[in-house]
Amino acid sequence: MHTKIVLDEDHMPKKWYNILPDLPTPLDPPLHPATGKPLVPEDLTPIFPMELILQEMSQKRTIDIPSDVQDVLRLWRPSPLYRAHRLEKYLKTPAHIYYKYEGVSPPGSHKPNTAVPQAYYNMKAGTERIATETGAGQWGSALAFATQIFGLECTIYMVRSSYMQKPYRKSMMQVWGAECIPSPSTKTKAGTAVLQKDPETTGSLGIAISEAVEDAATHGNTNYSLGSVLNHVCLHQTVVGLECMEQLASVEDYPDVVIGCVGGGSNFAGISFPFAGEKLKGKHKETEIIAVEPASCPTLTKGLFAYDYGDVAGLTPLLKMFTLGHDFVPPSIHAGGLRYHGDNPTISRLVYDGVMKAVSYHQSEVFDAAQTFARTEGIIVAPETSHAVRATIDEALKCKKSGEAKTLLFNCSGHGNFDMSAYDAFYANQLVDYEYPEQLIRESLARLPKIPGA
Amino acid sequence: MCTIGFLVNPFAGMGGAVGLKGTDGMVEAALARGAVPRAPGRAAETILQVADIGAHFITCSGVMGEDILAGAGIPGYEVVYRPASETTGAADTMAACRAFLDRDADLILFCGGDGTARDVYSVIGDLVPMLGIPAGVKMYSAVFAIHPRAAAGIVREGCTPGGKFLLRDAEVVDVDEEAYREGSLRTRLFGIAKSPYRPGLVQGTKQVFEDSDEERAKKDIARFMREVIEGTPGILYILGPGSTTAAIGEEIGLKKTLLGFDAVKGGRLIATDLNEEGLLGLLEEGTSARLVISIIGAQGSVLGRGTQQVSPAVLRRIGRENVIIVATPHKLAETPMVFVDSGDRDMDLAFGDHLSVVSGYRIAQRKRIGRVEGPERTSQVGGE
Repeated sequence: MHTKIVLDEDHMPKKWYNILPDLPTPLDPPLHPATGKPLVPEDLTPIFPMELILQEMSQKRTIDIPSDVQDVLRLWRPSPLYRAHRLEKYLKTPAHIYYKYEGVSPPGSHKPNTAVPQAYYNMKAGTERIATETGAGQWGSALAFATQIFGLECTIYMVRSSYMQKPYRKSMMQVWGAECIPSPSTKTKAGTAVLQKDPETTGSLGIAISEAVEDAATHGNTNYSLGSVLNHVCLHQTVVGLECMEQLASVEDYPDVVIGCVGGGSNFAGISFPFAGEKLKGKHKETEIIAVEPASCPTLTKGLFAYDYGDVAGLTPLLKMFTLGHDFVPPSIHAGGLRYHGDNPTISRLVYDGVMKAVSYHQSEVFDAAQTFARTEGIIVAPETSHAVRATIDEALKCKKSGEAKTLLFNCSGHGNFDMSAYDAFYANQLVDYEYPEQLIRESLARLPKIPGA
Repeated sequence: MCTIGFLVNPFAGMGGAVGLKGTDGMVEAALARGAVPRAPGRAAETILQVADIGAHFITCSGVMGEDILAGAGIPGYEVVYRPASETTGAADTMAACRAFLDRDADLILFCGGDGTARDVYSVIGDLVPMLGIPAGVKMYSAVFAIHPRAAAGIVREGCTPGGKFLLRDAEVVDVDEEAYREGSLRTRLFGIAKSPYRPGLVQGTKQVFEDSDEERAKKDIARFMREVIEGTPGILYILGPGSTTAAIGEEIGLKKTLLGFDAVKGGRLIATDLNEEGLLGLLEEGTSARLVISIIGAQGSVLGRGTQQVSPAVLRRIGRENVIIVATPHKLAETPMVFVDSGDRDMDLAFGDHLSVVSGYRIAQRKRIGRVEGPERTSQVGGE
């Protein structure tokens, strides 16, 4: 029995899978934040290269991965798929647990799967500098790595709470030649406004996005890059699920349950979209696809399915998605990458349509699972990934109860080697189990004005 | 230079070891039972740790302070009050505090229990910060450091040149010792003092990045609760005692009483300082109501400490699902568990294993519910 299922380099996917043409309900169009009218490609040209804009809206089922991008991805791809024999044994479950390990990339997560093509398309379009935001630092370090490869400058607005919690992530960005700024900052109008209102703010992804977008929009040589949420990002991540499909086929298995953690949705989309596509095409109708989110920021489980901005300042297009409100600043959980008020519109639609489902967990529950995983499988996962681990363990325990030998697959999206302070807090009993007081929040929103254009 | 008013209630804590559950008015009885003073030793543990900070100590003669300062080699201390007898009492504590006030003390550092805290607070109110070195039988008040050495750490931080005290509101809880000895815990919120603290959330480590300013946290809670209250104009809100709920009143623009239960509906204050009868009167059949209460004192008590007006009958009318608990992250960080002691076991059980506590703007924390320790409460506490 295999422990590690490894593909040859020449089996690395040559095309990304685009789920948009297979959706049961077409997506509602993104709207211009000022006019409320559907976006046209030209609206996005100040901050994105045309190739990415076209991918964002493409209805082609597959899109070729440029060979220059493939060359870079080959530094760590195809990534290994593991059978978690030791975890299965520990749980005494009949379930088959597989995990796709994306922590083997140089920055240690799935993020470079999209950072590399985004940097590449920007380089091709003549962009000199890219501005972006980062939550836990995984995206920032991935983009720093990718821009450095293609000779671009990179400015990263890092959410202040993570900037304090994870100093070594910013060190990585520095090694790869990027500038890392704690957000909110006084470098932008959006950041200055937040600081004036609240100098002590912990920051949020929504605020950092506002800063990066403003930076890109106000500098001619600079584009913006987003590490999650958008369709083209999820598209680039589908290499993860496509590889899994081939790896599982090589051991004649297929997942009954596919699991991933969700912040903006990219790692979850990466592992699940190819399997969701099969489900939508009627080939594997029974596959369960589970998105896992923090109880403190439960966008899919407790949010509203509505048009909302992607950032705090309201600079981004309005997207139809599950949202907790663009002004929601989630509490400072250690899984900084999951602190986002919204979600990818495609995932939102698929959850809304019942193709996927979502669950949420508290901080202490997920670290408990991460500890079990580290003590059985060895890998110390990122706090974000620990959410997927928790849900997988729970599914495996359900199998133990029912006696079903289901095949479970989760995206082990990154290692937690720079997150040891979070584990320290877990052992010091200092993890706060934040919650989202849904009922009260709904009541508090009752008197707020509607989002324009929604 | 920092001026510290230092006093010791030498008999604090003596009653505990000899089964008297408190020493108020029981000094002779405690001594007769062979109790040994423990407060001087506790106080000395703190003072020895702050001997070198260069603060100016003002104190009372003999066992009420001077002996400990002299023993620790504190230079230049000044005796500003002399008790008439060696068997000191509440009147001495209060007289000493008046002398400290006259000398513009920056901090009152006292060693004792809840009774001593009450006596100190009754003189100084929130004019001067107070910090307790824990030595009493009961310490439900939030003005106590968790340990004599912790008290020393707080004093050092504030009194070292260039240092400053971070202050927070701390409840002073009054316990009826006579009733306590008879097996019933009757407490009420006596007042809200200013007390220095070290922000545990940012202390030492970087793993949790939180705001150290508790006032801001209160404002965040208040802002959220205002939106909730304004979003539900048909619901009657009963705001309990404490500074967090008072901040909600202030945010709505109402003059809420600090220590009482006040009722708010449709943006108006409709009754203040309600007792059980008054609450029941407002909660007629069919009234949709919510109770907003905070955690009182240092022990994580949600109901039952300082909230006797909310009897089991009142709680049943309101309904468990309509109880909203609020507390700052600072308070919650020091409260590993919360205790629900409504006076009705079934009602306590209805709260389940966890409570959701509103701790910020659109943010709550899940806290485990612990079992109430100490003597059983009697049903008369809730007026049943």
